[in-house]
Amino acid sequence: MNRKDSKYFHAIQILEDNCTGCTACVRVCPTEAIRVRDRKATIDPNRCVDCGNCVTVCEFHAIIPSSDPLDIIHNFKYKVAVISSSFFGQFSEDISYENAKQAVLELGFDEVAEEAMVTDFMISVIREYIRQNRDKRPILSSNCPAVVRLIQVKYPSLLPNLFHQEAPMSILTRFLRDRISKENQLKEEEIGIFLIVPCVAHVTAVHQPEGAYKHLQDGAFSTGMIYGKVREIIKHVQNNPKDIDTYPHGLTWALSGVQAELVDTDDIRALSVNGTENVMDILSRVEDHYLDQYDYIVLRSCTNGCVGGCLNVENPFVAMSRIKKMSKDGDSKEIHVEELERLHAAGEFSVTPLAPRPIMELDKDIKKAIQKMKKINEFLTMLPGLNCSACGSPTCYALAEDIVLGKASIDDCVVLKRHKPEDDED
Amino acid sequence: MAEYWYIAEGFENRVQEYLADNGDSEVDMMFTVPEKDFNTAGKGSSEVKNLLKRLGVDSEVLRRIAVASYEAEINVAAHSHGGVMHSAVYDDHIHIRFEDEGPGIADIEQAMIPGFSTADELVRELGFGAGLGLPNIKKNSDAMHIVSEKGSSTLVEFIIFFS
Repeated sequence: MNRKDSKYFHAIQILEDNCTGCTACVRVCPTEAIRVRDRKATIDPNRCVDCGNCVTVCEFHAIIPSSDPLDIIHNFKYKVAVISSSFFGQFSEDISYENAKQAVLELGFDEVAEEAMVTDFMISVIREYIRQNRDKRPILSSNCPAVVRLIQVKYPSLLPNLFHQEAPMSILTRFLRDRISKENQLKEEEIGIFLIVPCVAHVTAVHQPEGAYKHLQDGAFSTGMIYGKVREIIKHVQNNPKDIDTYPHGLTWALSGVQAELVDTDDIRALSVNGTENVMDILSRVEDHYLDQYDYIVLRSCTNGCVGGCLNVENPFVAMSRIKKMSKDGDSKEIHVEELERLHAAGEFSVTPLAPRPIMELDKDIKKAIQKMKKINEFLTMLPGLNCSACGSPTCYALAEDIVLGKASIDDCVVLKRHKPEDDED
Repeated sequence: MAEYWYIAEGFENRVQEYLADNGDSEVDMMFTVPEKDFNTAGKGSSEVKNLLKRLGVDSEVLRRIAVASYEAEINVAAHSHGGVMHSAVYDDHIHIRFEDEGPGIADIEQAMIPGFSTADELVRELGFGAGLGLPNIKKNSDAMHIVSEKGSSTLVEFIIFFS
């Protein structure tokens, strides 16, 4: 995975041999982190927020999500899978929730837990947090790691508004490690806890959590990879079914909108938004204090929420419809939250205040930044203003900025080059 | 023409100094604000905000500028026959001017009272016109100036220092 040249980990890799330099990825990146130079895409690791938009848009399999291989579970004595709530929406109706969950267990885990187990508990924690922090309106959900990183990069003034508690799968991880080590007399490091995740942002969050006080998970597996392995053994499981607990009620956490509906109550007004463009529009309005009438805003970077993650196999709308059906049909096993409440009261789920990643500013010194801005504007008047991305920068403004920052030349503009052939090198 | 001045406490000298010798600005931006066009209204202030982020302006100051300019821009779209937004960035402050084509403010003092509004039905249906526009600009500015009279154009301008 991408560790070079940056303090930031990313679960996205570029396969140069496959890249055609088409610039589709350049145009969908919300932080303008991608450039195509010499017909190959490169990602600025300081700007990338792991939203996965480039992975989804690339037609040439040149931008590849990375996640952990399943065999790393054998490094641990006791192996636990924690399944993201979007996972069971991937399976067609002939594969039941129970069977799919049993199949995950039989991939070599000692125990399988689900994000859906703690969503009710989360709702109460979120409501309590909102009521205790009325001075910071609105509170912004922190469950989507791409949104958290987007705020660090582009909307740092909103960092204090983030819900400063761990996400459900991390809360579950704390709880499980605590319980399993006591019950089985195991050292904490002998227990391997792994997430099955729908997106690259969650893979990144496992390897480089923001604001975590303690070690959390030991790896992240892609939903697509686990889906494939489950399909291989599903016939065997269907012929040898076991009694498996399920939590259909909590699965709706994977759907944008539902979390907001659940948190919304007499004294808490909640808003829900999904998709990177919409998230940015809403964050910009929050910045302008135009959404102060809301107490809580649920923000998910992917279409329809986690069902839209780029590691899923099913279309986000189909997966959403299946999850809605499952949550209506089944009964959830009751969960005893006393232990969770004890850990919560002990502050075990708190996170450290998050630091900004201010990469958008031109210079630390405002006077120098202004001088650079003036130069950018000079170059901008020379450029055609087509925002065609053919140069490899997302917009003419971005190219002007790249020129001033020494990362590109005005000769990169193919439109200008076409209009003055006498300057051409050949 | 009636005139209204507000200068925040402690900023009198800096504002006077700037007004006495308002040298050339470093970066300028111009936007037209069409009448009752709520789809594009807000675009100018959003661009100004992006520019100031690039310059590394402190995020709390940035939020004040964003609120004041958005309010003023919506005001022009909601109440006037259209106008122009002109932003001038200096190395220690921003000066934003809104000039419209009328119909003018009959009583500026009254318009500065929170909750007072002359917004018409269309504007209110769109969720604007709560009568908080001008007072909100004042609240977020270090200096604010209005020139207007009934039947004439209106100038609303404000200055916010970066530190």
